[in-house]
Amino acid sequence: MLVLPLGITWFLAAILALLDGRRSWVGLLGVAGLAAAFAVTVWLTTVVLQVGRLEMTAGGWPAGIGITLRLDALGALFAVTSLVVLLAALGCEVLSGVRARAFPALVLFLATGLNGLFLTGDAFNFYVFFEVSMIASFVLTGYGERSREMRATMIFVMVNLLGSVLFLAGTVALYHVTGTLDMVGISEQIGSVRPSTVILIASMILVAFAVKLGLFPFHFWLPAVYRDTRPVVAAILSGAVANIGGYGLLRFGGELLPSALEVGATALLVLGAASIVYGELLAISRYPTSEVLAYSSIGQVGYILIALAVGGELGYGAAILYAVANSLNKTLLFLATGLLGGTVGAAFAVGAFSVAGVPPSVGFFGKVAVFQAGIADGSAAIVCLVSVGAALSFVYMFQIYQRNFWRGRAPRSSSPLSARLLILGLAGLVVALGIWPEPLLAAGRQAATGLAGQPR
Amino acid sequence: MTLLLSCVVAVLFGSGAYLLLKRDLLRVAVGTILLSNAANLWIMSAGLSRGGAPIYPIPHGGQPVSDPLVQALTLTAIVITFGTSGVLLSVVYRVYLGHGSADLQAISEAEVREEAELEEEERRG
Repeated sequence: MLVLPLGITWFLAAILALLDGRRSWVGLLGVAGLAAAFAVTVWLTTVVLQVGRLEMTAGGWPAGIGITLRLDALGALFAVTSLVVLLAALGCEVLSGVRARAFPALVLFLATGLNGLFLTGDAFNFYVFFEVSMIASFVLTGYGERSREMRATMIFVMVNLLGSVLFLAGTVALYHVTGTLDMVGISEQIGSVRPSTVILIASMILVAFAVKLGLFPFHFWLPAVYRDTRPVVAAILSGAVANIGGYGLLRFGGELLPSALEVGATALLVLGAASIVYGELLAISRYPTSEVLAYSSIGQVGYILIALAVGGELGYGAAILYAVANSLNKTLLFLATGLLGGTVGAAFAVGAFSVAGVPPSVGFFGKVAVFQAGIADGSAAIVCLVSVGAALSFVYMFQIYQRNFWRGRAPRSSSPLSARLLILGLAGLVVALGIWPEPLLAAGRQAATGLAGQPR
Repeated sequence: MTLLLSCVVAVLFGSGAYLLLKRDLLRVAVGTILLSNAANLWIMSAGLSRGGAPIYPIPHGGQPVSDPLVQALTLTAIVITFGTSGVLLSVVYRVYLGHGSADLQAISEAEVREEAELEEEERRG
């Protein structure tokens, strides 16, 4: 059963790669495949939330020799979020006209890679799927193929290859010191390893995922890439690909290397705070919409890091909620900047309110969770930072809104109605999760309990 | 053997990092590829062990066999490196076609120019 979310997208991607993705039926076939994978993942998630954890070992090998696929609440939550993002982005692009023949196939390959790394229980398999999704996103970044997009691709490929090299080295070092690649095995063995070695490995892995997320000192590639790619690709990168970083930090930091996370909590807190202040201030000072949103992404991932530094059930829960809320918000905003016409402004406003943390929106619950974690930690600094950050994000979001939608000038052309309805649907999801957040909160709590319950 | 391998990894990584700081795009790409290959050798060095060939069925007699897993990992990593290098080189070629130059100075000048145009366009609406 666990193979289904991977298998559906993988086979369909291979078939779509041979077809011309510019034809609308090919694109719709891709959307249908993603939707099927989404339905299976949602079903698996409901099963996982009841039984706790699903496992299968490939090829009928005994566990420990064969590669294990494992789904728990954390992986399921991230898989569902990423599939929502990819569905919205691909749907939007198919409805308003795909420009390159490989686009639907690439999105499906990306979905395969992401599902694979959220579903795997093996550290090296994680690396393999990480690369599958990275190669698909490298090619996606060049979508449009003007020199602007090619420059963005060049920066993206070089920086992220360095991140991958560091991650590979870290994974292999984990194997070297623990003698296993199974994630559960690593978390059992890591206690007997010298702390200094663990810190070294953890910092390699932290840098790799921080590059992916675009945290403050590793963010340098992000504004140029998000500004120069097409909005739909920026939506995919910030909504789905950045999830690798958030999930990786939670999985490797929270589950595999909790002792290193505890030691480095102060460093993470400082990095997160620097990300928030830097990202939000620069977002206010920039003019082009895509660049403001890019700097906003740098600021938003700072909250995830802060919540991770607080740690424990409350901190991990906040990090998970914030990551989910942030990827939905950013997808909505980037897709809205790519469309023209009536009702797009409304969708954008919903996203803007959600980033600023205004209820009822999913962003509100993300902010509240980080706030709670800060109060439970007894840290006035975190509480202040969250409030100030929310105020700053309110300022830059409405600067964009004012520039783009309050000018009183009708746009020259408008996007197809179906694409605009889709984006309104995504905005509706953001509001709906804010009005009825219980399923999301329960899933987040269960995922956090699973992480915090690991032996320290 | 471990010392020899670590020296080779160090040299590969050092030359990769040096090339990465160059202004010519092709050298930057070669530097990135060298870094990836340093990582592949690093995997090998993580599992160096003396022993017989790990071929099934393993001969009896208490003879230790060397760790086969690292070699499988390295093979996988080499294939992935090959794929990403291909993507990287084709991107470099496309950038070169788009700018008529593989010099990073010229490329960043073009970027600044286009950025200014973009900003102007957004201001005018």
